[in-house]
Amino acid sequence: MIAKVTLTVNGAARTVEAPPLTRLLDALRGPLGLTGAKEGCGEGECGSCAVLLDGVPVNACLVALGQCEGREVVTVEGLGEPRHLAPLQACMAEHGGAQCGICTPGMLIAAESLLRSNAQPSAVEVRRAIAGNLCRCTGYDRIVASVLAAAEALRATRGASVSAGAPVRGAAE
Amino acid sequence: MSVVDLPRYPFARAGSLGELCSLVHERCASGERTVLLAGGTDFMAEVSQSPRRDGPLPLVVDISRLPELGAIEWDGRTLRLGAGATYRELAEHHAVREHAPLIARMTSDIGGPTIQARGTLGGNLATASPAADGVAALAAYEPTVVLASVRGERKVRMADFHTGYKRTSRADDEIITAIEVAPPPPGSPWHWRKVGTRQAQAIAKVALGAVAALDGTRITRLGLGMASVGPTTALLPKTRALLVDGSPRDVDLAQLDAAVAADISPIDDIRSTGAYRLHVAKALVRELVRSLANL
Amino acid sequence: MHTGESLRPSVGTNVVRVDGAQKVTGGARYVDDLPPRPGELHGATVRSRVARAVLRGVRLDPTFDWSDVTVVTAADVPENVVQLIVDDQPVLAAERIHHRYEPVVLLACADRDKLARAVEAVLLDVDELPPVLTIEEALRARDVISGTDNVQKRYLITKGAPDIVRDAAPSDEARATEEAILRELEACEVVVRGEYSTHHQEQLYIEPQGMIAWWDDAGVHATGSIQCPYYVHKAMKRAFHLEPERIHVTQAVTGGGFGGKEEYPSLVALHAALLAKKSGRPVRMIYGRTEDIEATTKRHPAHCTVATGCDRDGTLRALMMRVVMDGGAYVTLTPVVLSRGILHAGGAYRWEHARIEGVAVATNTPPNGAFRGFGAPQTVWAIERHLDAVARELGMDPGVLKRQNLLVTGDTTPTGQAMRGEVGIHECVRRAFESSGYLERRRLGAAVSGRKARGIGCAIFLHGGGFTGSGERLLKGKAAVDLAPGGRLVVRSGSTDIGQGTETVFAQLAADAAKLPLDRVSVATPCTTYVPDSGPTVASRTVMVVGSIVERAAAEVAARVAAVRQPGESFATAGDRLLAREGTVTSLLQYESPAFVKWDDVRYRGDAYPVFAFMCDVAEVEVDLDTFEVTVLRFWQAADVGRAVHPLMCEGQLEGGTLQAIGWALSEELVWKDGAILNPRMTNYIVPTALDAPPFDTMLVEHPYSEGPGGGAKGIGEMPMDGGAAAIAAAVEHATGLAMNHLPLTPERLFAHAGARAVEAR
Ligand SMILES: Cc1cc2nc3c(=O)[nH]c(=O)nc-3n(C[C@H](O)[C@H](O)[C@H](O)COP(=O)(O)OP(=O)(O)OC[C@H]3O[C@@H](n4cnc5c(N)ncnc54)[C@H](O)[C@@H]3O)c2cc1C
Ligand code: FES
Ligand code: FES
Repeated sequence: MIAKVTLTVNGAARTVEAPPLTRLLDALRGPLGLTGAKEGCGEGECGSCAVLLDGVPVNACLVALGQCEGREVVTVEGLGEPRHLAPLQACMAEHGGAQCGICTPGMLIAAESLLRSNAQPSAVEVRRAIAGNLCRCTGYDRIVASVLAAAEALRATRGASVSAGAPVRGAAE
Repeated sequence: MSVVDLPRYPFARAGSLGELCSLVHERCASGERTVLLAGGTDFMAEVSQSPRRDGPLPLVVDISRLPELGAIEWDGRTLRLGAGATYRELAEHHAVREHAPLIARMTSDIGGPTIQARGTLGGNLATASPAADGVAALAAYEPTVVLASVRGERKVRMADFHTGYKRTSRADDEIITAIEVAPPPPGSPWHWRKVGTRQAQAIAKVALGAVAALDGTRITRLGLGMASVGPTTALLPKTRALLVDGSPRDVDLAQLDAAVAADISPIDDIRSTGAYRLHVAKALVRELVRSLANL
Repeated sequence: MHTGESLRPSVGTNVVRVDGAQKVTGGARYVDDLPPRPGELHGATVRSRVARAVLRGVRLDPTFDWSDVTVVTAADVPENVVQLIVDDQPVLAAERIHHRYEPVVLLACADRDKLARAVEAVLLDVDELPPVLTIEEALRARDVISGTDNVQKRYLITKGAPDIVRDAAPSDEARATEEAILRELEACEVVVRGEYSTHHQEQLYIEPQGMIAWWDDAGVHATGSIQCPYYVHKAMKRAFHLEPERIHVTQAVTGGGFGGKEEYPSLVALHAALLAKKSGRPVRMIYGRTEDIEATTKRHPAHCTVATGCDRDGTLRALMMRVVMDGGAYVTLTPVVLSRGILHAGGAYRWEHARIEGVAVATNTPPNGAFRGFGAPQTVWAIERHLDAVARELGMDPGVLKRQNLLVTGDTTPTGQAMRGEVGIHECVRRAFESSGYLERRRLGAAVSGRKARGIGCAIFLHGGGFTGSGERLLKGKAAVDLAPGGRLVVRSGSTDIGQGTETVFAQLAADAAKLPLDRVSVATPCTTYVPDSGPTVASRTVMVVGSIVERAAAEVAARVAAVRQPGESFATAGDRLLAREGTVTSLLQYESPAFVKWDDVRYRGDAYPVFAFMCDVAEVEVDLDTFEVTVLRFWQAADVGRAVHPLMCEGQLEGGTLQAIGWALSEELVWKDGAILNPRMTNYIVPTALDAPPFDTMLVEHPYSEGPGGGAKGIGEMPMDGGAAAIAAAVEHATGLAMNHLPLTPERLFAHAGARAVEAR
């Protein structure tokens, strides 16, 4: 069975023709050509496949493509590009949040989701937000530091125009 | 490795609850199987990790956006939790936080944020794992499960819903639409403790949910639910009988331990041991009694 | 001096890692992110389902349509050996099955669903034999599965009295040395004996093993997730009987290794290449998580028997230790792991007399292999826990006892290696103790509040950098630096970046050596066709050993440019002129082991390592007295790293390594039954999440190593794995009085150990 599913991916309308129970992860990595999200376990444990689905962080290995008709997906590629890093991405690279980098796309999605609803998170809040993302390299401290630094950078750049708690977009300028 | 099975599943999306009931009923009548897909956190993980299957596969029907399943409502007496509401939605809902704070608290112990964003109570109830945190927490409220089918609505006490290891009294053509909770007044004591394999992304080795009402120091109402200590969520009837109508300060701890031991049947598995679970179960109940005594 | 543009050095600063932007945008291409090659097939492995058997034959279900499935068996392998230390491991099992996940048949097909069905349609005819599954069973040798006595390797280290008798009685050295050490122990005022054991550990890199292989006119190509491209190269050369220049092994961006991608990828590459050869198509072989946990290497379980003698004031005198490791079904790297284990068995302490014996045995379990620490975590666990026991016996604080026996300059290790230069351990201990308030908090005792108890504990240890003994001399690691147009340098080495930051650090070292800005240096992708064999990316040797070659090579190239540079001319202009004249300007250098390193490989005597790094861990834990859950509240660690080329990445290595030690100590445990792993999934092999990890206080102590690059860097990649478990066990003991000698400290094991005490405890 093949279904035609239309969804928005990183801001652009895309149509995929694939079996409807194809995992969103496979649709992204295959026909949609976005290999940022990774498969570490295929069972919802590692979070390296995390993407935003209608603004909410989900494991793309547990979402069926057929469930995504008309929905909006944001992957790590949608946060910013190498020449125009979002503050969150830049902080992750600068503060030691990425070592081997395989968990990084999922970490960034989890952190992005946090920073959209909480402009001034505490270290514990950051840990809770990334609790579904396993990292075997860093010991997590540097990831927490990276996200806290990004929150600060975002507050500084958005400054007075955005009140605390308002949604913060981490997209490239 | 049988993610390879996924592309072979037939798939449909339900537009309304009525449509869904008819579809499921018709398939049942003709002996065909159907699986409902809500958050997919049980189903997709299960299929991906199971051995490959030959032969016809059930029809998967997406119910994740059925409006009839998503609502959370408070009518002044009853809190109606839509079976399709996600843990994240439950945690954020003011009525849940006010009237069923135990449920709101429990959600933060489910998997991690991405699981909370997708997983639903309907899925948790239907999967009927003895380790289900949602079921253990709900059990403390002694709720009613609301089921819909072409025959109309049926309500069943959750205590009667789970009938055995991963078994329920849901008929094959019934859909869980909501869970109804009649909570004690706001401010009533509640207790939640999950002892899992780690601090997040953890399956319960033992978890205890409790909701109480007190008259002075006398316990007038007590609902209990304990995960991972038997084939289904344990409701601890003997423990409850020992405590209700008494004061938490006068409890004989040896009797309490004995009641807990009589109420549960924990086993050894890859996550823990029966002996440890029994010990922790007793300790968690003692902890509950201490916290009630200290109110 | 070389005359590049003058600028601030980048060594010692936290430059943004060179692969950072790619990794934070999803642009980094790991093996399974590489686009399919035309005609590519998926590969799969059919594995034995029994732990030990005679393989009678392989049958293909005749009712299955095999027309578009490529089938490879042992008969298709030109030489059925995985090249490593001993030639005992076949590429595919031919006659005997030695473990439950042994590869037997390979399949490839374009359709993944059909491939999965084909795996089920392969039938193995086997006669099962009783398996040997534990160290005890192997030592009993009722069933012999390896050699004549199941022993894969033995070592003996002697110092003091045992060493003297050893030279006198070489034919009877085992007995004579044992008698000698027992005499020394008997002469001591206080003798303490104990047994300590450690369990398997899975690397659990988040990216599973994976490889893509294909053949063309140039020979065979393999691109994948690898730590050591030249290991794969050598394995291909042997199994396929190929000329070296016909083998092209390339590292894709690698999602963690920790040792798990040291030797195992050779097997994955051989398998993919066999399928590619037979099918005539490219083959992609990506392991699922379960297959990865089941079949690939793990940390060697170990059992250590220890006896020590000391004075009543705590002065240590004599050490006797026997270390037995479970090597698994094939020898693979076990001799080297065992070697490093026994070389670290004396810890960071002074012993007058020592006898350390190492034995590795074979079992019918998947071969154990490289994992960060490489044998040292097992023996550091033993010696640290043992000294905790000695302190208990003496009524002393273990931290004080350990501190008073630390090696100082001129002291010798059990192999007789003298400590050269400043021994950084003292400063590590001072800083870790001071910042954590260790001594004060030990004095105050456990802090009990309600049903929770807090305690604090320490571990002190060292770790040798580089290959053991004469290893580096035999290895002859090489690296090259090329001059490129525009005054740029290109570093070529076989050392891989698997997350630890090799690319960035090499660029820093080369830039500083040539006095160029960092962005003028690039590091070539490790591909065996273009990069020299630098030796494997292991043994904490990449920065310390290979980095020093890179530094020298860059300086040499810069000097050649400087020699032709005219006044006022830029480095780039001079470089381009030199390039135009010479065609290529390259410095290819080989590592020179420091002259002072003297090693006797037969007697295991001398300088085991050119230098040691040092570390002191202090862990604070809270134990729930009802549930025995252990929470690590905070973790202080001070490490003498010689010189931190990139302090932030250095701290990241220390923290990541320590968290692996914490996981090993508290939650990671493989559950075995009949040689099978019952929990081969991320949902039940429990590694720490962000909520399980403590905040770290990481302190870098810098006592430069005279021969280290960047002004004295030592190897530190593995060290943090060594001591974390012991520090936690000491803290748990401080909090609860439960003295645990066997890992892991899961709540279930603490509960079982507490026994009746647990119940009466309230
Ligand atoms: C990584 C991970 C961590 C987890 N952690 C926890 C945890 O901490 N605690 C815990 O309790 N669980 C946990 N789970 C299990 C799972 O998330 C929960 O059980 C969740 O509530 C399932 O809901 P779902 O909507 O995702 O179910 P689905 O997967 O969509 O459905 C599961 C089953 O329920 C049936 N079903 C769903 N909705 C209905 C309905 N309305 N009527 C009838 N049948 C229905 C489906 O047909 C299916 O058979 C975890 C799972 C994962 C993958
Ligand atoms: S791959 Fe989806 S959570 Fe691991
Ligand atoms: S950086 Fe390697 S897993 Fe997180």
